[in-house]
Amino acid sequence: MRDVIVIGAGGGGPVVAKELAQRGLSVLLLEAGARHAAPRSEWTHFENDANNPLTGFLRFGPADRNKPAWFRELPQNSFLFQVSGVGGTTQHYFGNCPRAYPGVFAGYDRPDADAYDAAHRFPFRYDDLVPYYEWVEATLPVQTAAMGRKERTFFDGCETLGIPVQTTKTTLGDSFRPQQNAILQPGGNAGLTRELSRLAFPQATGCTLCGYCLQGCMEPIRAPRNLFAKRSTDNSYVPMALTADAWSPHGVPITLITDAFATRVLTETRSGQLVATGVTWRVGATGETHTETAQIVVMAGGTTESPRLWLNSGLPNPNDWVGRGYTDHYFDLVVGLFDKDTDSSKGAASAARAEFPGRGGMENIGLGPALQAFAMQLSDSGSRGFYTNGRGFTGPWDGPTGRPIGPELKDALMNGVNRLLNILVITDDDVEAQNRVLLSALPADEHGPVPKVVFRPRNRTARTVANREFLVRKATQLLRGAGARKVFRLDWAPLILHVQSTMRMGTSAADSVLDDTAEARFVKRLFIADNSALANALGGPNPTLTSQALATRTAEKIFQRYFGGEPWVGREAPVVSTADAVTQAVLARGL
Amino acid sequence: MATNDLSRRAFLARIGVLGASATLLPQCAGPELTGSESSELGLGVIVNLLRPVLGQLARDTLNGFVAFSVPGQDDYSRAQGTPRGEPGGIAAGGTDFLIENFDRFLPLPDELVRPAGAALVTALGDLPLPIAGNLLFGLLGPSVVTIGLVDNAVRFILENDSDAPLSLPVALLLNYVATATNPASLHGAFVSPFARLSFADKARAMAMLETSQSRLVALIDAQVPQPLKASVSGLLQFFGGALHEFAAFGCFGESRRYSPATRSLTGRPVGWQLTGFVPDNQPGDGWDDLLGYYQDRREVTDA
Repeated sequence: MRDVIVIGAGGGGPVVAKELAQRGLSVLLLEAGARHAAPRSEWTHFENDANNPLTGFLRFGPADRNKPAWFRELPQNSFLFQVSGVGGTTQHYFGNCPRAYPGVFAGYDRPDADAYDAAHRFPFRYDDLVPYYEWVEATLPVQTAAMGRKERTFFDGCETLGIPVQTTKTTLGDSFRPQQNAILQPGGNAGLTRELSRLAFPQATGCTLCGYCLQGCMEPIRAPRNLFAKRSTDNSYVPMALTADAWSPHGVPITLITDAFATRVLTETRSGQLVATGVTWRVGATGETHTETAQIVVMAGGTTESPRLWLNSGLPNPNDWVGRGYTDHYFDLVVGLFDKDTDSSKGAASAARAEFPGRGGMENIGLGPALQAFAMQLSDSGSRGFYTNGRGFTGPWDGPTGRPIGPELKDALMNGVNRLLNILVITDDDVEAQNRVLLSALPADEHGPVPKVVFRPRNRTARTVANREFLVRKATQLLRGAGARKVFRLDWAPLILHVQSTMRMGTSAADSVLDDTAEARFVKRLFIADNSALANALGGPNPTLTSQALATRTAEKIFQRYFGGEPWVGREAPVVSTADAVTQAVLARGL
Repeated sequence: MATNDLSRRAFLARIGVLGASATLLPQCAGPELTGSESSELGLGVIVNLLRPVLGQLARDTLNGFVAFSVPGQDDYSRAQGTPRGEPGGIAAGGTDFLIENFDRFLPLPDELVRPAGAALVTALGDLPLPIAGNLLFGLLGPSVVTIGLVDNAVRFILENDSDAPLSLPVALLLNYVATATNPASLHGAFVSPFARLSFADKARAMAMLETSQSRLVALIDAQVPQPLKASVSGLLQFFGGALHEFAAFGCFGESRRYSPATRSLTGRPVGWQLTGFVPDNQPGDGWDDLLGYYQDRREVTDA
């Protein structure tokens, strides 16, 4: 029997695993996808090789790339951007680590309190989470992003908006700033050269501005895994968890099993209460199933997979909120074409942002040509100039919303992938019961019924729609201010990539699955530590940091409630994941 | 000729099968196979003859779509009225990209594909369309292969083949919306009606797939048994958007200039050439793009 089994080695699971391994608990971490132990021999910087949703090494599918990806049902024009493998979606994330806006937490009483999703606040105060933010920011670590040409272009536009520069971690008003990124700042030759011979560790340290965040970070060349620039969990929390004995006085290394898809959470009734007792998983390579028991089970397979696993395990759902309340930041993309270089495909993929609390935010995103083309074809407004799909909105951008097709798409991209600027519009969207994960009626796969992800983009709340319309206008103004010659607004169909709140914690038992410690209301000893546990869409900020802060808090609650331990956040100094003791253990153990 | 036979013949023409069969099927000198189209021998022969024909039909149709997505110097781009002076999606290998990914990797369960295929051949055949009789002329001529046999063979392939290539139903659907958009596409150059459309007509055809509440979607749903009913129509709407996105991704990506064996490029990808991506053609491990820190601020605190 293990003390704790954590399901899913993505953004949140490894945080719980590392924190509890540091305390001396025996932890089993299960990951459905590949280990990706040797990125230099398994990965490339190529977009199709990495990101093809059917075949790429960062797809959502089995460790064996010759097997098809896992099917999920999407009954609308949309794209669900899941990633399996150790690190989960942090493998392809941009490392952006803004804190949630204070207005989405309980007890917020500033004058703009009504501007947020007031019906679905976190069940505790912002100040209660700050120590956990600080702990994660120190552990990853999170640092102020360096500036390349695309950031300079973004700031040029921001400087025309009449809003101040934010110089704090907490956001309190409209502002712009460099990202706080989980990316090590460039050191040595990094950022100064393209010559391979000068870019190997330790001549180069931190971010080399290679431009391939989306393809997984393995920079600089020959750096120890825990010193790779981007602090995806495969480069930060997982190496720490695997070496906990080397850097923590009471630490016990975790057991990590990959190619292990959890298919069932086991339960029994004790003293009239349903409690979690273990996990069954299926081995991808052999098809065998294994079961292990544990005192505590932590679900962290992701915002789509956690409700699926809950339902496939036959766990109770008395208020019908399992899988409901899916938030996705109702993204939109605004693209400016320039007559000057922006170097959009170079550098950290996103290193600048603007905040509009109560509305959401926006950030620059750099893409290679294939994903740039993909991004400019995703639209809920049909094809520009031919059909609008009932939308085709006009505004300060050029022409109607919609995808440019054929010659227009080609002309836009031939302007140059380094002479454009993308602004991702990140809307503060409301928790809505209609947007949800349920089990598909289509045939089950080897792991049971597959998830069906339903979004109703035409039926969002008035506040959500108004927030998006406000932000796309600001983004257009920013691009014009930066000198854009032509501005496209895509009106994206749902790109389900920032995913939150399908197993949400909440103040009310009527519309939440978790209590204020992230323990399931209906099954004791069962916790959730991925983005699905978040109470809402955070007001718009990218979710990973908050999920990791919450997972840290959850680990502490588990340790206190079930293992008689003392809390540590705010009492101890965190160990940074780049610490020499971690590095030496990573090297010694060939991690 | 029975009315039902005529309507099936019209349907097979509209999804491109009849034209492709007339053009590509070997001049069958085999036994007369009339009337007994359910005969296993006849069906087996035709299924085997038809498979490569349908493969070519799918390729021709997707050529038409890839040229629509990223026009270039090819015949398909010229035919749709948007010739270009530089290479496009077809030169980039976009067609192979779509076929390979659809046929080998698209993780659709057979249990969905088979009823969806059956719905396709049943429902679409019943959709009334203003196809004038003379447009079918030429596809109605005498043949040793009866319509019933071709019809049954297509059904057989779509409904029973465990390895049915998924590019085929996608292509049949595109041809169907093509002939619904412009019945004149039943005739002309190429094998596929979709490939014969003008650029504007291709856009109109795609609108039929993508627009919610479309009659096409409702008709297909009506043919699918529960509990799959809404799933098939939802999938169609997903495809209406995903085809655009996936084709563009393939055309601007590296796949046709990439060797999995060496994990390196074999030449400059067309999409890289078009967009000016990494001019030295080396993906590299860094750029000299560091301009410092905004306002020279390297850290922030709340204190």
